[in-house]
Amino acid sequence: MSKDLSNVRNIGISAHIDSGKTTLTERILFYTNRIHAIHEVRGKDGVGAKMDSMELEKERGITIQSAATHCSWKDININIIDTPGHVDFTIEVERALRVLDGAVLILCSVGGVQSQSITVNRQMTRYKVPRIAFINKCDRTGANPERVTQQLRDKLELNAHLMQMPIGLENELAGVVDLVTMKAVYYEGDNGEVIRIAEIPESMQEAAQAKREALLEEVSLFSDELMEIMVEEGEIDTQMIHDAVRKGTLALEFTPVFIGSAYKNKGIQTLLDSVREYLPCPTDVENFALDLKNHETEVKVTNNPDDPLVALAFKLEDGRYGQLTYVRTYQGVLQKGDTIYNSRTGKKVKVGRLVRMHSDEMEEIESCNSGDIVAMFGIDCASGDTFTDDRISYSMTSMHIPEPVISLAVIPVDNKAQINMSKALNRFTKEDPTFRAFVDHETGETIVSGMGELHLEVYIERMKREYNAEVQVGAPQVAYRETITSRAEFNYTHKKQTGGSGQFGRVAGYLEPLEEGDYEFVDKIVGGVIPREYIPSCDKGFHKCLEKGSLSGATVTGVRCVINDGAYHAVDSSDIAFQLAAIGGFKEGYLKAKPVIMEPIMKVAVEGPTEFQGAVMGSINQRRGMIIGTTDEGSYTAIEAEVPLSEMFGYSTTLRSLTQGKAEFTMEFATFKQVPRGVSEELIKKYQLEKSKG
Amino acid sequence: MGKEELVLNNPLRALGLEEKAEGNGQSMGLVMSRAGLGKTAILVQIALDSMMRGNKVLHISIGESIDKAKSWYNDILSLITKGKNIENIHEVISEILHNRMIMTFKEASFNQAKLEERLDDMVKQNIYKPDCLIIDGYDFNENSRAALIGLRRFMKEQGLKMVWFSAVSHREDSRKSSDGVPAPCHEVDDLFETVLTIKPDNQNIYLDIVKCASCAVKAGLTLALDPSTMLIMKA
Repeated sequence: MSKDLSNVRNIGISAHIDSGKTTLTERILFYTNRIHAIHEVRGKDGVGAKMDSMELEKERGITIQSAATHCSWKDININIIDTPGHVDFTIEVERALRVLDGAVLILCSVGGVQSQSITVNRQMTRYKVPRIAFINKCDRTGANPERVTQQLRDKLELNAHLMQMPIGLENELAGVVDLVTMKAVYYEGDNGEVIRIAEIPESMQEAAQAKREALLEEVSLFSDELMEIMVEEGEIDTQMIHDAVRKGTLALEFTPVFIGSAYKNKGIQTLLDSVREYLPCPTDVENFALDLKNHETEVKVTNNPDDPLVALAFKLEDGRYGQLTYVRTYQGVLQKGDTIYNSRTGKKVKVGRLVRMHSDEMEEIESCNSGDIVAMFGIDCASGDTFTDDRISYSMTSMHIPEPVISLAVIPVDNKAQINMSKALNRFTKEDPTFRAFVDHETGETIVSGMGELHLEVYIERMKREYNAEVQVGAPQVAYRETITSRAEFNYTHKKQTGGSGQFGRVAGYLEPLEEGDYEFVDKIVGGVIPREYIPSCDKGFHKCLEKGSLSGATVTGVRCVINDGAYHAVDSSDIAFQLAAIGGFKEGYLKAKPVIMEPIMKVAVEGPTEFQGAVMGSINQRRGMIIGTTDEGSYTAIEAEVPLSEMFGYSTTLRSLTQGKAEFTMEFATFKQVPRGVSEELIKKYQLEKSKG
Repeated sequence: MGKEELVLNNPLRALGLEEKAEGNGQSMGLVMSRAGLGKTAILVQIALDSMMRGNKVLHISIGESIDKAKSWYNDILSLITKGKNIENIHEVISEILHNRMIMTFKEASFNQAKLEERLDDMVKQNIYKPDCLIIDGYDFNENSRAALIGLRRFMKEQGLKMVWFSAVSHREDSRKSSDGVPAPCHEVDDLFETVLTIKPDNQNIYLDIVKCASCAVKAGLTLALDPSTMLIMKA
């Protein structure tokens, strides 16, 4: 691979579910000669698209895990991460965006900007990812790229402008007019591989000229030189336009929009040209790391191959030959045989095999330069770990990881399944930080939690298929939480001094609500009333109390435990005595601190024909939902609401029957809110009943 | 401090809109200024005052997104509650926001008939019955007097207490009604009980009470607005 970073593009492809990302990626791989035949996502040939390498993905026609791939187009090397469209797999999208320098936002020419496009756009903005847009499916009935571009401006607030004009639309889509070169581009041959450049059809010349002028007016804001030439009515050089568009795109102030139909093999090569022209190379983007040796001060990574290595492990996969770790290098060179350091664990590891990924196939390489995306074999680490050489200790800024909102019990059917399930859970939790697993000490059940029903469903399915772990699954449960709403004091003595070795410890202090964070322990003991060696025991005792709140058995969060007094016994005090004293103190203070139950609230977006607006709103109201607003899109209306997750089980069926299957919805976690009194009473009653049953 | 104290401490109280928000009467209000001076901020303050009094508000935003309208409410609500020791603040805010629904329309697609149809649907199906309408971005150039009379009739039919509009005035258009209501609303000013205009003066911004029936303030009074928050400044 070339050492010139200006020839590297690390890009992501993101969009709303079913907008055709995987189909588009398949075409990119075909035109860049990485594959020699095109297979459709749910094609009749049964092969499935290249990027959907997981069996389950091919079956369902949705991308679950993002697969990385590499290709070359003209003089540039492109690393592509295909990202999942379903909101339950948002962590995959977020991780991809963290390591990518630019992105292609795919939109459907009929559906336009849909709810998931909004989520993805928000994520791109969070990670300051420059983007270009591609309006796909222009061959579909009702295709309207102008309307979609307007939506990009209105709904996503992007300064979006069409760089092309379609030559024909719907089933007459033949090609595009390039408004920069002012030429018509036709995609011919069996697979659209033959590009024919021609003059713009006469009937379109006037409109094309007007659109070019409007485009240049906008683009000239990013180039004084271009503006000057326009004022002087001089001849405009094509490269000058490209440079101005690139400048605006990199500054996140301009979004060039391209059109085509991946399925009909139209517009892909021109999109690849635009990736080359307008998306950043690694040196165009500023990335920061935290210097762990210097109080986590933010430092800019250099992209310089001569500097010490900084690489981020952004994705793990368990393949046939062991764990595969995808890394992005930010400076230095990663070489086969190198010894590198994991900044989090401080452990030294040796790079055995280094490969470049092409979906589930790989190509062995000797080294990779700064700015590249590759995979390492046999490295034990977690997703999000940073690797450096021994000269520095950097950690790439932590990624935003949402809290899981739904959980369910998984029960292995036999011993063999139990062993396999443990292996599977160990791997999945390492791969995906939004997927968690733990054992409920009271019931002995293994509980898994994640971002939605589909998220958990997919992992259960993978457990069965990839690990042969036959499990029974309980009903999905909402991950409730408990927290306190006021300050309360406690003063508890744990005393057991009746024969044998005794136990004694007194702990006094108070509990108070913690605005940010889950738990904080504050030691205000003076004068040694509790010896230093027992302070961690108190912390440990409080910690144990957080596992299960006394109202509903849910995890307790948002509590600051402060100890300011206590007593000990020279002989009978011990670690366990102070742990038990802290547990007693917490229990004493907790109920006085007015605990409440919190539930996850989901941001729900429903899109459907306006005629069903009333019915949909009614269904949201019935579910304790709060309608935030509605957006009128002519014959379509989008409804935005906040609804408790506990009320959303089975909503897809309800929505289907209410709207004759014409509406669709997406949801994502918004916040935790206190449950209403009635629901709280019910949850408390249920927990008491469970406890009394033992 | 609870929600009641928030109402009492709201800077907007200086206008004295209690009778309009709590009485049984019906009134139409108008906030006017040149583009970009803060009409939405004033409308949102009026809406929040009404919401805090327990009224249901339907905020109709023409040409803007739900997120934009929502962020106006969040910003102003946090300004009003800032530094106040309110018990169960999250619950209070949640209760206030339950009294709001936002409806957005494209400029070209909004018309009175469409609004009536959507609102009628919601009320009949018992989904949301507003007491107050906020219409931000209404195009007074395109809409005739008849449309506004139609809206007054609709207000009566639906039992709405208040309908507030925003309107853009232009520096180059000096036409005014006899009451001092600037164009483009100078010929429909008799349909509004209250008209407020926002005026910049050097570094300051003022709210002129052009007319205000059943208010605590008299027409002709000028209130100073804090330019950084757009809240009415306390004397």
